[in-house]
Amino acid sequence: MLTLFLMLPIAGALTLLLLPEDQRIKPRVIALVYSGLAFAVSVLVFALFDPAREGYQFVQRFTWIDASSAGFTVQYALGVDGLSAPLVLLTGLLSLAAVLVSWNIELRPRAYFAMLLLLEASVAGVFTSLDLIQFFFFWELELLPMYLLISIWGSGRKEYSAMKFLLYTIGGSALMAVGFLLIGLSAGTFDIAVLARTPDAELILPGALVFWMIMAAFLVKLPVFPVHTWLPDAHTDAPTAVSVMLAGVLLKMGGYGIMRIPVSLLPEQAHTFATLLATIAGFSVVYGAIITLQQRDLKRLIAYSSVSHMGYVLLGVAALTPVSMSGAALQMFTHGTITGLLFIMVGLVYDRAHTRQIADFGGLMHHVPFIGVFMLVAGMASLGLPTLSGFVAELTVFLGSWDAHPIATAFAVFGVVLAAGYILWMMQRVFFGPPSTRWASMPDATAWWERTAVLGMAASIVVVGVYPAVVTRVIEAGIEPIAAIVGAA
Amino acid sequence: MTMEQVWLLPAIPAGVFVILSLFNRVLPRRGDFVAVLGMGTVVVLAVLAIADFQGAFHDGHFAPAPGANTYEFTWVNIGDGVLRIMFSTYFDAITAVMVFVVSFVALMVFLFSIGYMHGEERYGWYFAVLSLFAGAMLLLVTTNSLIFLYLAWEGVGLTSYLLIGFYWERQSAAEAAKKAFITTRVGDVGFLIGIILLWRVAGTFDIQELIHLAEEGAFSETYLTVSMIFLFMGAVGKSAQFPLHVWLPDAMEGPTPVSALIHAATMVVAGVYLVARTLPIFDLVPIAQNFVLYTGLFTAVMAATQGLVANDIKRVLAYSTVSQLGFMFVALGLGSVTAAMFHLLTHAFFKSLLFLGSGSVIHATHQQEVEHLGGLWRKLPITTVTFSIGSLALAGIVPFAGFWSKDEILLEAFELNPFAYAVLAGTAALTALYTTRVVLLTFAGRPRDQHAYDHAHESGPIMLLPLVLLATLALGSGFVAFDGVGRALGFVGGIGQVVTSHGEPHSFAFHPNIAVPATVLALLAIGAGFEYWGGNAIRAERARQWAPELHALLVNRYYMDNLYQAFIDRVVLGLAGIVARFEKSVVNESGVDGGAQTLNWMGFRLKFLQTGRIPNYALGMALGVLVLSIFALGGGE
Repeated sequence: MLTLFLMLPIAGALTLLLLPEDQRIKPRVIALVYSGLAFAVSVLVFALFDPAREGYQFVQRFTWIDASSAGFTVQYALGVDGLSAPLVLLTGLLSLAAVLVSWNIELRPRAYFAMLLLLEASVAGVFTSLDLIQFFFFWELELLPMYLLISIWGSGRKEYSAMKFLLYTIGGSALMAVGFLLIGLSAGTFDIAVLARTPDAELILPGALVFWMIMAAFLVKLPVFPVHTWLPDAHTDAPTAVSVMLAGVLLKMGGYGIMRIPVSLLPEQAHTFATLLATIAGFSVVYGAIITLQQRDLKRLIAYSSVSHMGYVLLGVAALTPVSMSGAALQMFTHGTITGLLFIMVGLVYDRAHTRQIADFGGLMHHVPFIGVFMLVAGMASLGLPTLSGFVAELTVFLGSWDAHPIATAFAVFGVVLAAGYILWMMQRVFFGPPSTRWASMPDATAWWERTAVLGMAASIVVVGVYPAVVTRVIEAGIEPIAAIVGAA
Repeated sequence: MTMEQVWLLPAIPAGVFVILSLFNRVLPRRGDFVAVLGMGTVVVLAVLAIADFQGAFHDGHFAPAPGANTYEFTWVNIGDGVLRIMFSTYFDAITAVMVFVVSFVALMVFLFSIGYMHGEERYGWYFAVLSLFAGAMLLLVTTNSLIFLYLAWEGVGLTSYLLIGFYWERQSAAEAAKKAFITTRVGDVGFLIGIILLWRVAGTFDIQELIHLAEEGAFSETYLTVSMIFLFMGAVGKSAQFPLHVWLPDAMEGPTPVSALIHAATMVVAGVYLVARTLPIFDLVPIAQNFVLYTGLFTAVMAATQGLVANDIKRVLAYSTVSQLGFMFVALGLGSVTAAMFHLLTHAFFKSLLFLGSGSVIHATHQQEVEHLGGLWRKLPITTVTFSIGSLALAGIVPFAGFWSKDEILLEAFELNPFAYAVLAGTAALTALYTTRVVLLTFAGRPRDQHAYDHAHESGPIMLLPLVLLATLALGSGFVAFDGVGRALGFVGGIGQVVTSHGEPHSFAFHPNIAVPATVLALLAIGAGFEYWGGNAIRAERARQWAPELHALLVNRYYMDNLYQAFIDRVVLGLAGIVARFEKSVVNESGVDGGAQTLNWMGFRLKFLQTGRIPNYALGMALGVLVLSIFALGGGE
């Protein structure tokens, strides 16, 4: 099943690249079919996941590189637990939405959709890999489509942003690779499930060093202050669908990685540095939110709000309690859908207006009420309004983290006031006010692909917000063993 | 309908919201009748629930069968029960008062709105949001879980935002909506921290359980004091108390029926409700309780003085609301949940009446500055009479409803805190004064804006009916305190048997030594009002010229709004600007791009080592051999 989830987008990408130029079947249709099927599979994985069972589910393994003479083997090993199952669903959902909002791409659509599908496959690989080397393979694979998507289909200083993104990620992952090798070669296996059974095993180098080598890559990806500056640039210059994928799922690779690898495999180090991490997290929340208040560009505004909101994830992880880590995992899922929707809405505005400067707008609610209403829904979710999904996640993080890090958590709680500030300020400037003559002829989002993407995302936000147990029952099953490891250390 | 099924009350308007927001364009009359029918059903069900509640009294004690007044299920369960959030309801005397007030006033406002909002472009949306508000408000007052209370709390905040900003094409309305949301959110952060603090010790969000644990001493006193002050911050924001009161006068940008329902009768009393609900805990921590008392006392005076000079009829009423909410907090600070809830009840009726009355005036004249009104009693007789009844109730004149409830608060203050009594008595006189001013300027004298006056005409029956019904309650709802009236309503032994504080039935009593001075004072204030603003209001003009600085101070709301605006512009946004510049120049350009440029520069310099000349490389190799030999020899010794 997971192989299917992984291979469907790859097959789609290959189909697109290998098929001759055919005017009858458009690339977007092929991409829609493959990402639609992948989404269906991700729904099945999530629905069939049994929270009552222990360990990984839908596991598939075989030896990939047999180097047992050198003391290790590399496996092709896939599986999901309660931590990764929601992220698999998120990947399926957002990839489909990304294809839909790219419906009118005109520049080399075959290559574009192939890259988008390859991106989906690589992220899917990261979330389902049970082997460190394989994890690293997919982690690096994601760079190729991202770099090309931003530098070819982007706008503005796209080459600069793409290169910045690439260098940052490679810088982090170089250290991560060394860390993985140190762990794997010390233990004689790269199997994450096996490694998690013997946490804090003897390492060749000091554990703290290995911990930070691996953390470096994940903190860059998350991102947190001070290694976040690639994010606003990448977002600003990326096409809409790529922003959706970037904020929606790629950032989650960081949070997921932290919980899966350094926290699960080196829990003692995690305890040692928990306060430092929580401090970084609390600072990131407020720092990101304060900078967001000053943004004049819609996309940069949402990008910086992501820095702030991903601080909640790190805070939840750093508190190392079952509740806080569940909150962090839930925050990853909800932030994915909420920010994904925000970027879709901004993309719809940008497609029509060809500007993202907040000062250029005003009174858009008159002209594009559909876009306005769903921007408001997404914005309200982003500022943590109850009955929309962001609230439960933030609440859970706050409740779980207070005991461990009261000051960092208090800062994080204060972030919700700033969030209300920047979201409502943006709504007022862009959508409210008297009708504008400049935008009087702006068409509302009426196409089926636009409406499907928007309504689907909004529905997921409302469903999780009204009845969060649909996700938390799964997440809890995944957090419990991690919390047990951390608790024992 | 039993107490256990009280969850139906919020569910019905919430369902109406879903129907109307999806289908209002295809329904006849944009679906306003769905909203009215839904609200009417809720009123009936609320009355039935209250009847069931009365039936649970045995020998004067509230003794429902176990679980008969609650309904619950698990909403979220994380960490194997560590974090278990229950949806739960609870029904007692406080709930009974609240569900009746909320549903009845909501129904009146819905009816009034049919006339007032007729022909509005977003008519269907208006009723959808108003229904959502009613649902959230009913959830707020029926739930027993702090988390769901908070959820509903933010829900009424959202609907308030949407309705204040209903005319969002006006920048001022959009601005006011944002201001309301953000100001109350500052308080909500405190509320949330309070919830977290209580939970981390008690491990539950169940209000009744928390009260029980607090009484058993599960918290240290200092800890509980801090927690309750944080919790109270939420009430300060929502109930527009000092220093977070600034949003309420601006909230008058919303349609007038909205002001009547949300910003007078129901949402703004959520803070009072919260403190009343948790009062047994406040009783344990005198510092926190005094904090409530003095916040309310200060706000009551401050807002009343501002009400004296405001020019917009709705703003006068808004300041009056802030001031009256202060009265309720004083009662709570004195430990009297009964007096607070009684005043909440009567205030809801007479203040929503006043707002709807002002709505009738605005509807007739398209004018809301009192300086441009005048003489309207000839044109709007029913509005004039009902508005005057509301004003007399607000001024606390016997036998109108406000007299009885204000009397209860004054009595508590007289017995427990003479200072508070003196201040409140003075404030009550101020109340009578500004009320007289508004009535005289609006309805008496000669019309100051002839055009507006000429076009004025009395509102239609759909708007007059709520006015008359509310006027009846503004006149009569104070009498429920009498045992005979209580018995007639079905409360065995009178209302006093039902509303208990500290476990004891409350006995309402008439105390001439409180009531007589208060009445005399109020009558004197009304007389002074006639003297100043009656006829051509020459004395008022002279008073203004006598102390222009004082007048300016009041008109400018003690410059608090300017202060906050300056704080946001200079401090918050200034800091944000500094941080953004730091981000751009230090973190990004120097740190990141600079790092890249340094590497680039190093690469550029280092490439000159690759000279391509054999002698250079040979020299390098020779030096290398030399260094290695030194190391090797050094190691050998």
